[in-house]
Amino acid sequence: MVDFVQNLISGVAVGCIYALAGLGFVLIYKSSRVINFANGQFIAIGAFVAYALAVWGKLPVLLAALLAMLLTAGLGFLLERVFLRRLVGQPIISVIMVTIGLASVLDGLMYLTPFGSGNFTFPQFLPQGGLSLGGINVSYPQLLAIGFTAVFLVLFSWFFQRSVLGVSMRAVADDQMAAMSVGVSVQRVFALAWAVAGLTAAAAGIVVGAVSGLNQDGLIAIGLAVFPAVILGGLDSVPGAVVGGIIIGVLQSFSTAYLDGLFSQIGLVGGGSQYVMPFVVLLVMLWFKPHGLFGTEEIERV
Amino acid sequence: MKRAMILVAMAFLGLVVAQGRTVNLLWSGAVTGPTSDVGGPYGAGVEDYCRYANEQKLIPNFTLNCTVRDDQYQNPNTQRIFEEALDRAKPAIYLGYSTGAMLQLKPLINEVKMPTIPASAHIGLIDPPNNQYMFLPVSSYSEQVVALMEYINRTTKNARIALVINPSPFGRAVVDHARRAAQRLGQTIVDVREVGSGNLDNTALLRALDAAGAQFIIHQNVAGPVANILKDAQRLGLNRKIRQMGAVYTGGSDLIRLAGDAAEGFLWASSYYTLDENAPGINLQKQLAQKYNRSADILNSTNYTAGMLAAAIAVEAMKRAAQRFNGRIDNETVYQALIGMNGPNAFKPGFAVSTKAGIEIDFTRSEQTGAEGLRVLEARGGKFVPVTEPFTSTLFRQVRNP
Amino acid sequence: MRNPWAQTGNYRTSYVQDTTIFANYREIVSVVLLLVALCVLPMFLERSQVLVLNFILIYAIAVLGLNITTGYAGLISVGQAAFMGVGAYTVALSAPSLPFWLTIPLGGFTAAIIGLIVGIPSLRVKHLYLALATLAFQEIFVWVVGRSPALAQGAAIPVEMRNFLGLEIGFRNHNYFWYYVILFVLVLMVIAWRNLLRGKYGRALIAVRDNDRAADAMGMDPGRTKLMAFALGAFYGGVAGGLLAYMQRAVVVEEFTLSRSVALLAMAIVGGLGTVVGSLLGPAFIEFLRLYVERLSEWMKSNAFIQSITPAGVDVASALLPLSFGLVIVLFLIFEPRGLYNWWRLLRSYFRTWPFRY
Repeated sequence: MVDFVQNLISGVAVGCIYALAGLGFVLIYKSSRVINFANGQFIAIGAFVAYALAVWGKLPVLLAALLAMLLTAGLGFLLERVFLRRLVGQPIISVIMVTIGLASVLDGLMYLTPFGSGNFTFPQFLPQGGLSLGGINVSYPQLLAIGFTAVFLVLFSWFFQRSVLGVSMRAVADDQMAAMSVGVSVQRVFALAWAVAGLTAAAAGIVVGAVSGLNQDGLIAIGLAVFPAVILGGLDSVPGAVVGGIIIGVLQSFSTAYLDGLFSQIGLVGGGSQYVMPFVVLLVMLWFKPHGLFGTEEIERV
Repeated sequence: MKRAMILVAMAFLGLVVAQGRTVNLLWSGAVTGPTSDVGGPYGAGVEDYCRYANEQKLIPNFTLNCTVRDDQYQNPNTQRIFEEALDRAKPAIYLGYSTGAMLQLKPLINEVKMPTIPASAHIGLIDPPNNQYMFLPVSSYSEQVVALMEYINRTTKNARIALVINPSPFGRAVVDHARRAAQRLGQTIVDVREVGSGNLDNTALLRALDAAGAQFIIHQNVAGPVANILKDAQRLGLNRKIRQMGAVYTGGSDLIRLAGDAAEGFLWASSYYTLDENAPGINLQKQLAQKYNRSADILNSTNYTAGMLAAAIAVEAMKRAAQRFNGRIDNETVYQALIGMNGPNAFKPGFAVSTKAGIEIDFTRSEQTGAEGLRVLEARGGKFVPVTEPFTSTLFRQVRNP
Repeated sequence: MRNPWAQTGNYRTSYVQDTTIFANYREIVSVVLLLVALCVLPMFLERSQVLVLNFILIYAIAVLGLNITTGYAGLISVGQAAFMGVGAYTVALSAPSLPFWLTIPLGGFTAAIIGLIVGIPSLRVKHLYLALATLAFQEIFVWVVGRSPALAQGAAIPVEMRNFLGLEIGFRNHNYFWYYVILFVLVLMVIAWRNLLRGKYGRALIAVRDNDRAADAMGMDPGRTKLMAFALGAFYGGVAGGLLAYMQRAVVVEEFTLSRSVALLAMAIVGGLGTVVGSLLGPAFIEFLRLYVERLSEWMKSNAFIQSITPAGVDVASALLPLSFGLVIVLFLIFEPRGLYNWWRLLRSYFRTWPFRY
């Protein structure tokens, strides 16, 4: 039982990182139907900018983290302005392919810095160890992940329910044409979506930095894990991203705990089922419930 | 054709003047892309040793032309770079890199009879078939792991061991030999788990291994994932209960930097001297890193040492080939020089530890491992210090081919 | 048409004419000339240059397949490399007992069957979601290979063919021999591609891509059409993978990862989606870009002045490749979404109408 609860909580903590990274992803999809393949690069850049500000710039870690989030948001905004805006009206495959191209460009930019290779450790800003209760242990970085996600979720729901911008974003998501006709600036909404995507991805990257070492490959791999999470939750649902992220995190934790042994019995040796199970779930979801747990079904009228 | 004629003409001129002849060496590896944290310093080591060899004129009458190329860990690039070199520069020796690419190129390497020193110490490279021209500079990953198991057996009988490996041919190289060695030693391999980079939480893994009764974890991985596991073990209070250790690419300064004090007590099997020791190779490494403006990260990296050792073996073989074969340095003579590198002719550059017989690097026709000695080092106070004398795993030789 | 050789445009007036393979005689002549040129080309090249060509032609076959799934049916696939992998592993397992002219098609068929399974969601969902289904397949494929002892867990499985009808194949002629095999297969695959898509099925694909409800209403079955497209695309991938296995002498799982899939998609886009010419130009462009950027990097590394102005720890040479690769994709999509094919078309029409502007 203790094991079960411990695995559950660790999974939730990892899932919160996916949720954070998934929030911005969902926002982009919600407003512009674009799948952003450069999300992993956003995560990496956010984390590395925070590292550079904190270690080389000698700023306090929290300030560095905040600045990094804002700078990555600026990057998202800039990319939308310079590249994606030109593609409004193009087939969606072009837009998706542009995000793949941008991912490669961002990789190249990272190679221009020392972050292109090697491992980096974030300065320690949380106390070591963690909370222990009845044999169950949660580290402070993990608490940070959970806390960050909660804060963002509250902020997002406030934003979408109350603020004018949030309401106009929902309007654009609902029906782009109708939104335009009542005077909503679709362009502003798109730019905002990309900026927020940069912000949340950077937040995810910073949490990763607190939890483990920073390595370009590892950070970009997290961007990949976001896909199953958002499909599970529904590509266009903000709460779905959070729930999906947490489910995937728990799934990974449980896979390692309970599934690795089963796989080796059917001849797939070596364990590591945590790497494949999210994608198996993704495929199964697409077969049976393609719009996810919370996504809106596409209803088309001829 | 033109190029060939120019080459012939140059070779002719070279014979006449017996001066200013060039000889080529090729290294191709991942300076960027996956595993670049190993490839970067490794390539730098090769590059710097080559420059040094030219400045010191280590191969009399010859200029060494070293080509260091980035294949980004992509096998088609490696294959193209290698075949391009066969067409044009005609290197006398090839320094390789990744496990995957080397295993793939093995048949070709054997066919063109190109002596090859890979960075990967996968035992499959020097196992038949097509293994004749492959030379590992230090003992294989499998031997390192078996040596660690023997080390465990010194203090703990019938130990229960878990293997945590990289999800790649590089990581999987050791599993079979570890299982066979465990059988001989009366140990139990309780589990084999693959863990790659980006392992954000290892609670479930460590708890599962603990529940399986593992007393030891042996890692065959790169430093990043191992550091995360060490940190989680410390947090969960399992660091005392389960002793962790790993093969050559797990340890070193990178691990200490990443894992901090969670690395304390980690055991590391390595053939190389550490930076704190006074060995001729290490002193040279410090001197060259300073001379060529290398960063502290590169200087401190064992992979920098590894690259230098590979280049040093190659340069020495070329020099001996020139001496023995009347100034003829090509793949055939370098191969002869390499397999003659034994007994009184063993090579002692001082990058790796020597065996009891005082031999550092030696090769024969059938024994294609260079430095057969290795030590177990322990992380103490932020440094790796040797806890054993250099030794050679006798058990590994028994379990290598069942 | 008084003089078919002086034909300047498209005179098609019926469906039968519209489905002919060649629009006019000039096209036939140019194709024949191109084929002859490709046949004699290796005689002027070094072994390693032929190797580069081999890679380009193999990728061209895979990209042709991608042009059915993505170009014609509009289903984004980021799993083409995995289908290549299925073909390659089929070849690796069957090569010891079967000749290569059987193993390669077998690889194609195995990939096609798997393509059918991966494409199942296409019966229910639209393009975007399918991209994620192929992504999932890509990741699952690499994982399963890595865990299967029968497939050497992703380490090299040698695929050697040293003898063909008494012809000894070794280091000297390996690349040349496979060049001609690959070229032959490519020609077959192009003919099949053209034949398949010029008729009823190709039109159905376009209809389904552009508006699947309208296609449905007109009696086409969008689900089946899309599934078929998936299977066909996978077949091409499988054949390409099989050829790659022989050409590289061994199968290693690292060849068939997500980054290769993305590169193939980029080749298709840069070449121009849904065209044969684009399927050839795209791989050639990307591969030559890689080659020349690499050369530029080498030069930068050896140039003392450039080295002196770059700050320590900055590796401009290594950054060039991903930068240029990404920029090429982005710039093409923004400024020339129809790809290199469009340049080719403009160039041709310039010569055809010369000295007039149009």
